[in-house]
Amino acid sequence: MIHLSHVSKSYKTSTRPALEDVTIDVEKGEFAFLIGPSGSGKSTFLRLVLREDLPTSGAIQVAGKDLVKLRRSKVPSHRRRLGCVFQDFRLLTNKTVEQNVGFALEVIGRPRAAIKKIVPEVLELVGLEGKSRRLPHELSGGEQQRVAIARAFVNRPLLLLADEPTGNLDPDTSADIMLLLERINRTGTTVLMATHDNNIVDSMRRRVIELQLGRVVRDESRGVYGVGR
Amino acid sequence: MRAGYVFSEVLTGLRRNITMTIAMILTTAISLGLLGGGLIVARLTQATQVLYGDKVEVIIYLTTDQSTKDPDCRAAVCQAIQTALKKNAEVELSTYQTQADAFAQYKERFAGQPEMLAIVQQDALPASFHVKLQDPQRFKVIAQEFTGLPGVDQVNDQSDFLNRLFGLLNSVRNIAIIVALIQAFAALLLISNMVQIAAYTRRTETSIMRLVGASRWRTQLPFMIEAVVAGVIGAVLSIGLLVVAKVTFVDKLLGSVINSGVLAPLSSADLVAVAPWLLIAGAGLASVSAYVTLRLYVRI
Repeated sequence: MIHLSHVSKSYKTSTRPALEDVTIDVEKGEFAFLIGPSGSGKSTFLRLVLREDLPTSGAIQVAGKDLVKLRRSKVPSHRRRLGCVFQDFRLLTNKTVEQNVGFALEVIGRPRAAIKKIVPEVLELVGLEGKSRRLPHELSGGEQQRVAIARAFVNRPLLLLADEPTGNLDPDTSADIMLLLERINRTGTTVLMATHDNNIVDSMRRRVIELQLGRVVRDESRGVYGVGR
Repeated sequence: MRAGYVFSEVLTGLRRNITMTIAMILTTAISLGLLGGGLIVARLTQATQVLYGDKVEVIIYLTTDQSTKDPDCRAAVCQAIQTALKKNAEVELSTYQTQADAFAQYKERFAGQPEMLAIVQQDALPASFHVKLQDPQRFKVIAQEFTGLPGVDQVNDQSDFLNRLFGLLNSVRNIAIIVALIQAFAALLLISNMVQIAAYTRRTETSIMRLVGASRWRTQLPFMIEAVVAGVIGAVLSIGLLVVAKVTFVDKLLGSVINSGVLAPLSSADLVAVAPWLLIAGAGLASVSAYVTLRLYVRI
């Protein structure tokens, strides 16, 4: 699903490369954690997979597409096969739950009838049935993140990228969100989650890819966050 | 993509950014108004040129003394001039106009203005020869030959006056268009600024659209339409300005000049001919600067 081969990324503003000679394969259907301290290159990794940026050198393939050769005009169709969740939810505050989720379909030109049918299904999947007409500020943090996950998942992506999805949530709510991400993973969607949350990583016992100063220092198939952190 | 949805987005955008939108609309309106004014003056110049056509002539005015003593050009002095004109190879046609004819023409020309009629009496107007040249450019030859002859007061070339008239009209047109261009540049910057602010206030929406894979067009179209709507409103306003300018300024102040046949009239047809170009220019200016701004400043 994700294949990085000797990928390096340097930014003009920094002397040290954000990623250095990273080679990683994440297969279809996997659930993987991307861990490491701030500045270790997790966000850069996700940006490259999203094709928000191009690597300075190396090759990236995501869902069968060579992102380095991908034309600019093809970037939107690449992103339609990906879903994204963030620490800060990024919901539209003036739209209801169902409008927020429907927005993702609306702006890629899906017909209204399809949107009307799909959105309630996804809201039920994430456990928000009955709250479709609420506004984001009327929801708890965990519920808001569920809306964001519903929006990321509504177009049935092949790959779900989650950047610190539990960063703003308390431990119990975080655990619920992880259950939801697991459920999404069971539908066949590959999940790649960047996180600082050692409790979650330790309890899930999934693949762990650890970055430090832009390099992969650990890649374990059933890992823990690490000792002494 | 649904039209109603895009339209409501555009309206919200224009409202949210109302002061900038108004500034941009006014600047566009003034710019296009001046451009339209320039275009209309150009049309007017052309129409006036047609109006004069090949009527351009050299007029040899006789002295008042000569005019009154020999009103019908029978005496030797006047006959000498007439013969010289007939013999001259440069002259295509020459006609003699008596004081009475000149006065009649004057009365006709200023029929609507009693104050103009009151100040002139028949004796004040000289008799004259109206000379049509084979080549109007050869005026100097005629002027040299006839200036200073007995009975001749002065030789007047209409083309001299016309050159000055058209020169004036052309400079009015040029100044209008230059100021229009400067204003257009200001409008361009305002549109660019307006689009940047609009894109900034909607950055959450656009970032989500980008992430879920909305096409570039889908993401940018509302901003473009917003700019174009404002541009078209500006153009409509500029057409309104021109209509007001015609009714209050041109028709009232220049009415007598137009009636006397010096200038071609400014008709509503002129405005109708210019209006579509202003609309196209307004929409074009807005969409081009919005497009360039989005390309340069807004990450998609």
